[in-house]
Amino acid sequence: MEIFALFDCIISPACLLSQATGGLKIGMLLFLVASGLTLVFGVLGVINFAHGALYMLGAYFSWQVMTLTGHFGLSVILGSLGVGIFGLLFERTLISRIYNAELLVQILLCYSVVLILDDLVMIIWGDEFLSSVGVPEVFQVPPLFIFDAIIPPFHLAIIGMSFIVGIILWFIMTKTRFGRLVRAAAVNPKMLEALGININFIRAGVFMLGSFLAGLGGALAASVGSVVSGMGNSIIIESFIVTVIGGMGSISGAFLASLIIGMARSFGAVAMPLFTDGLMFLIMVLVLVIRPQGLMGNKKK
Amino acid sequence: MLKIDKLSKSFGGILATDNVSLELKPNSINALIGPNGAGKTTLFNLITGKIDIDEGQIFIDNTNITNLKESEITHLGIARAFQITNIFSTLSVQDSIKVALLAKQHGLNNMWNRFKAHSINKEAESIAKLSGLTKSYNTISSALSHGDQKLLDIALALALKPKVLLLDEPTAGMGPEERWKMIDRIQKLWKKTKMTVLFIEHDMDIVFDIAQNIYVLQQGAIIAEGTPKEIKSNKKVIKAYLGGGKK
Amino acid sequence: MNLLKKDNFQRDVFLGLLVWFMLIIFYYILPDPGIHDIIQKVFILGLFAMSLNILIGYLGLIAFGHAAFFASGAYTLGLFLQSDFVLNLAGFSIPVAIVLAVLVSSILATLIGVICIRLKDIYFSFLTLAFQMLIYSIILALVNITGGDQGLMGGFPKPPFLGIDLGKPFDFYAFTIFISIITIVLLRQLIESPFGYGLRMIRDNSERPAALGFNNQKHKLIAFIIAGSIAGLAGSLQALLDVGAYPEWAFWSKSAEPLFMILLGGMHSFLGPLMGALIFEILNDFVTANTRYYGLVLGLVILCFVLGLKKGLLDWLLIKLNRK
Ligand SMILES: Nc1ncnc2c1ncn2[C@@H]1O[C@H](COP(=O)(O)OP(=O)(O)OP(=O)(O)O)[C@@H](O)[C@H]1O
Ligand SMILES: [Mg+2]
Repeated sequence: MEIFALFDCIISPACLLSQATGGLKIGMLLFLVASGLTLVFGVLGVINFAHGALYMLGAYFSWQVMTLTGHFGLSVILGSLGVGIFGLLFERTLISRIYNAELLVQILLCYSVVLILDDLVMIIWGDEFLSSVGVPEVFQVPPLFIFDAIIPPFHLAIIGMSFIVGIILWFIMTKTRFGRLVRAAAVNPKMLEALGININFIRAGVFMLGSFLAGLGGALAASVGSVVSGMGNSIIIESFIVTVIGGMGSISGAFLASLIIGMARSFGAVAMPLFTDGLMFLIMVLVLVIRPQGLMGNKKK
Repeated sequence: MLKIDKLSKSFGGILATDNVSLELKPNSINALIGPNGAGKTTLFNLITGKIDIDEGQIFIDNTNITNLKESEITHLGIARAFQITNIFSTLSVQDSIKVALLAKQHGLNNMWNRFKAHSINKEAESIAKLSGLTKSYNTISSALSHGDQKLLDIALALALKPKVLLLDEPTAGMGPEERWKMIDRIQKLWKKTKMTVLFIEHDMDIVFDIAQNIYVLQQGAIIAEGTPKEIKSNKKVIKAYLGGGKK
Repeated sequence: MNLLKKDNFQRDVFLGLLVWFMLIIFYYILPDPGIHDIIQKVFILGLFAMSLNILIGYLGLIAFGHAAFFASGAYTLGLFLQSDFVLNLAGFSIPVAIVLAVLVSSILATLIGVICIRLKDIYFSFLTLAFQMLIYSIILALVNITGGDQGLMGGFPKPPFLGIDLGKPFDFYAFTIFISIITIVLLRQLIESPFGYGLRMIRDNSERPAALGFNNQKHKLIAFIIAGSIAGLAGSLQALLDVGAYPEWAFWSKSAEPLFMILLGGMHSFLGPLMGALIFEILNDFVTANTRYYGLVLGLVILCFVLGLKKGLLDWLLIKLNRK
């Protein structure tokens, strides 16, 4: 472990700033994906193991749209919307059958979908890495130098975009009728049914929204990294970490946890490059041991 | 036998048990009555160590059991049956009684015998007989009738050979006929085993019929206690409880 | 035969040895290395799955980090067989290495178990997953010892012991199956003992046992340690087979494999997971010979089991047989 490297980094404004923006970027991208996972869990009670596969689909979809149209904005929007629609179908055909099933059944069903999707994308797009969609032209400008820290403007854009999505999500959940219904559905689904509200509609909507968020994360990831089958298999674990640390079902918890994990990854890479992943799992273990319900979760009675 | 001294418990500001004191005589059969939400089950939970005590003390045979763990208290001779049946759904009646017997004797750590061939079989049969479950001895618990599930719940407690037996609404969810059968059985049990019994019951006819001593609980506090006769004529009870439209 | 009628330990030992003997004869009747390979793998993975089923099927705890113990067994065996300390024992090195592998796995299971069993449901699952991934990260980080992402480097010798040379295919086949069968017979004893019924009791209702004077936590911990040790044994056998150990064995997807086997074979019959391992291996062998898209086929099969049959094959068969 290189504690001194970390120390050196923290006292140097350049290193501190660039690691912090790096951490923010990782954290905010993670938040996009994890917020969908935690939302689905909170309302539907389903641990969607296939959430990472939806993220992967988002990357492939947006890559496809980009290749066809060359329009970045369009690729992100269509890519994530496509995943949202896919999620809707997924929920109607499969997930809706396992709402009351045991945990094991939920895990296995979702994981079988992961296996299927991982191979399907290979059949459709081939098993080679697809090179990244690339940063849109507007952002193909020299990086900013702030206190000698090199900061790619596109990273700032990703952070900003994720932030906006987070705010929209917050707005939907707290200020709209849909959001109120969703929160009510999470607490007491029977009550909603008694009020004559179609609970299936809410569930499908939430799952679609969750899938959309995973797809959006994937679409943005496709612009900074390559696209490959199985790319969802590490993001799903990271999203689980975030969900657990933040408190399962809590979106604000997911936000906080995403920031923690983003920073842990970014600064961890300086302090202990070989153990960056280990650091995340260590945090997860500690949270589960000390506060199993997560930082912002409610303690169950 | 069982002595409770100034016991209190509150749940987030609501006083569920309010300065309760009582003492059960050896080999007595007692009833605990009170309206819904009076804190009857809570009192059982406190006695058995299922939930923590806020204030007060509990003794069994002069042994202080306050703040002991639920399993430790069980070993000291208190057993209970639950209001909502609390049994092992995939085990047969026989196997359920056997695990209860073995749990009491620390016999479940045994890895070297076969459970099915365990010498405890005779004892299990006698418990089943005592509880009237001989006919359904090999039935899986989840397939039992509601009444038999209640009996099994009691049988599990009996397997512990307790000094004090707490029964939480043993007749809950039963029709009149089934009710009296159950009560009959409990009365016989009590006579045979010489246990001290405390049971919760809503049916006043039953209570007045078999209890030697009655405790009336209201909003967590004991508002009256005494023989059926005394209770019947107690003004507080009539006002608070019996007066409420009861025949 | 009287011996076969009663369900007791002697009968199981007898049946176990009989099966072992028949598989040995089978080895000569069908001299196809591919099939021998499948059979020994079925036993190794079957042990792995059966050990997990102690927790899932009998205790009702969905452990999602069981591969941690598989990997710890594999790495411990490999590392000890690379060390002078064990190799100096010459004729004893392999038995000693296996014992040490099981021992280290059981210690690891104790440490992890003490913490995990305090949690319930999904929280338990997540904590086991987190520990497993922590161990995965440690394996990757300790490059000097474990070889990092390349896996244990340079292989290790397999010195003969008691006239058994695990370098020879037959010896390995007979040895692995023997060890597995013995373990399965012992596991059967455990499951059918009062201890095993204690597990079922907790699975059915985790609240009542305390009112029977019983300590759930201790029971769960012991079961967790036993499950981890057997997984360690399976891992050590796998390492002997592959003459190596790989970090993927500690990755979460490795923990999904025994889950599949349990699903395919059935969690409510003792040999269900072993049967699941058989289905899994045959499927694996058959599909990979015909298509590159193994995951697609496996995924579809699992989907059929989850939504269609709704239980494992052996569970299903036993229910059908009992009805008649
Ligand atoms: N674990 C708990 N947490 C919070 N409040 C509780 C808890 N257990 C009981 N209470 C409250 O304590 C009060 C007494 O409940 P209790 O179950 O003891 O009543 P009871 O007399 O057994 O009623 P019933 O006849 O309906 O069974 C109720 O207001 C109940 O809501
Ligand atoms: Mg009650």
